[in-house]
Amino acid sequence: MKRQSRLRKVDLEMILPEFFALLSIDVFLLLSLLTCLLEERFPKAIPYIYQIAALIGFGHLLVSREFLSIFGEDMRFWYNFFYLLVALGNIIAINLYLAVEKKMWTLAKAWSGIVTFPIIVISVFFVSNYSYLQGAEFPALIMQVGLVVSTIVMGVSISLFLSPDLLNKLKGRR
Amino acid sequence: MEIRKLVSRKEMKLVTLLLTSLLIATASAAVYYSLSMQSTITTATTSVWFEEGADNATAVVSLSPDKTVATMTGLKAYPNASYTYTDPVRVRNNGSVAYDIRLTPVSLSGNTTEFVFVKFLLRNGTSESSPTLASLNYTCDGSDWTVPSATDWVSIPATNPDTQWAITVITKAKDNAQSASVTIEIAVDVR
Repeated sequence: MKRQSRLRKVDLEMILPEFFALLSIDVFLLLSLLTCLLEERFPKAIPYIYQIAALIGFGHLLVSREFLSIFGEDMRFWYNFFYLLVALGNIIAINLYLAVEKKMWTLAKAWSGIVTFPIIVISVFFVSNYSYLQGAEFPALIMQVGLVVSTIVMGVSISLFLSPDLLNKLKGRR
Repeated sequence: MEIRKLVSRKEMKLVTLLLTSLLIATASAAVYYSLSMQSTITTATTSVWFEEGADNATAVVSLSPDKTVATMTGLKAYPNASYTYTDPVRVRNNGSVAYDIRLTPVSLSGNTTEFVFVKFLLRNGTSESSPTLASLNYTCDGSDWTVPSATDWVSIPATNPDTQWAITVITKAKDNAQSASVTIEIAVDVR
């Protein structure tokens, strides 16, 4: 009798911490395109700076892949989460820039409804989903309500953004 | 001048940014996909291993340090008489769940003329009266060995960690057998 075979334990996770880096890259690319579309309201270099930020995120993913076995799960989560926070911070910063610096209230409101709010809710959803898979509890109802509210706000914001006099028309009917 | 104007146009900028965005997003998604395809594999200690049985001295049993390999070098086959090593080595389930095990032939080398059979029986217990759960019967017709196929899977529960399953070895050489030896390797597959 010479041999005994056993299966080894294989751990597979649904969401890797690097998903937050991927999400952040997409956020930076979105910001780049949106600031290019609204280029009269922003410094000319801003879209390119966001492209560079997205490229940094791509490099960050490559480094993370090469050193996957060295970096622990916690460390990977925190540096990816920090990158996500930077991306979200930029969205909020643009929102504040439009509202405070440029005094473009309508655009700032539309931005918060179309960009800031949905992206923050989506980020919260994935972070909570990740923490749930890691064993931390998070009430599912908050996520569902958050998504519904996000959808409603986004829908209303898009309608108002595309036809600003819609609100006046609705007021006029009353 | 015209080219400069064209490049500085908003549409051109947007198209350029859109293309680079697509490139970066696709490359990042590909990297993430390759990351998600890497699974984390951790080594685990075995729950099923071998133990020396009551007849281990007769059969000269030696176990590897992790008890996953058992070697019996003292087995003898007598001419025209079957000899039974009832309890040379045991299989033990030390885990908290039941496992299925089976006996599988791996290799056979050596003499092909002097033996009649070598049998390996998996017993439900360690005594002589314990029922046989599975058996591997190697038979020799005087010119070659007939190697059996793997046994059916047998469940070994974890209800009692001290419960052990003996592997009995029965040997027989042919009448007036000459000095010869055969090496048989079998595996205990665990799932």
